[in-house]
Amino acid sequence: MVAQRNPLYGAISLIGVFISLACLYVTLAAPFIAAVQVIVYAGAIMVLVVFVIMLLNVEQEEPRPLRLRSLVPIAIGLAAVLFAETVFIIFFVQASPATPTQNISDVGLTRSIGDALFTSYLLPFEITSILLLMAVVGAMTLARRGGLLPANTAVVPGDQVFSRELLDRREPGDLTAVATHSTEEAGRLLGVESERHASDDD
Amino acid sequence: MVPQLSWYLALSAVLFTIGVVGVLIKRNVISMFMCIELMLNAVNLTFVAFSSFFRDVSGQLFVFIVMTVAAAEAAVGLGIIIAIFRNRESLDVDEASTLKL
Repeated sequence: MVAQRNPLYGAISLIGVFISLACLYVTLAAPFIAAVQVIVYAGAIMVLVVFVIMLLNVEQEEPRPLRLRSLVPIAIGLAAVLFAETVFIIFFVQASPATPTQNISDVGLTRSIGDALFTSYLLPFEITSILLLMAVVGAMTLARRGGLLPANTAVVPGDQVFSRELLDRREPGDLTAVATHSTEEAGRLLGVESERHASDDD
Repeated sequence: MVPQLSWYLALSAVLFTIGVVGVLIKRNVISMFMCIELMLNAVNLTFVAFSSFFRDVSGQLFVFIVMTVAAAEAAVGLGIIIAIFRNRESLDVDEASTLKL
């Protein structure tokens, strides 16, 4: 997933990783977490990411020249150490004393998770809901386009309101509101003849 | 051959390392974001493995809460990414090196 240059291929590989992790959760006797993993991660979050990738039309990364070439041997050595540690853990460390017994446990079932979630872990659950509410409000605030007019502009129905920036290009950033009361007045301000004027002349 | 706890922990460490490396070497904001998700999932695997091997449900509850936080982070993070793209017409983090928009 990291090796992909195209972010879309990376996202699809990440969906594969998530589904594989869900399979591992099933082997760990946690079916509820596995289902939530598929629904929330592979479903909701990655759909959002793929949507943003396609919306923004992300281009591929071009390879950049390698800097710090002198550090490459050190990096290879550190990677070898890390790899050796992993191999050591897998093959030479004795099995942990807490080996799972083969009989059926109800730890990962939805019922036991719900029991614990709504009794002894009720406060984290409520805090999570508040966090989600804050995220919704924050995402809306971030994704909203900033208003063109200042907040104290009074918009009267039937009037046309322009910012001064639109009318006079020499003053960029001036968002003072200019109100007009008719289409002809608005056309005169914008420097275009309204169509009704043109038809009157004919 | 019964799976051992250390296998899951090693896989989780490998996944986390891949995520860290991805955050360090990627320049695209969305790719970095996906690597953060990968790190969260590595930690989730550790939690579920311990929870299953020690017969304690609290680990899986923590995974549940981590998933909620990840969903909130996805919503806010993608909003930030769209705002950056709107201001700069680019997703390269090297071009967004100042805090000023």
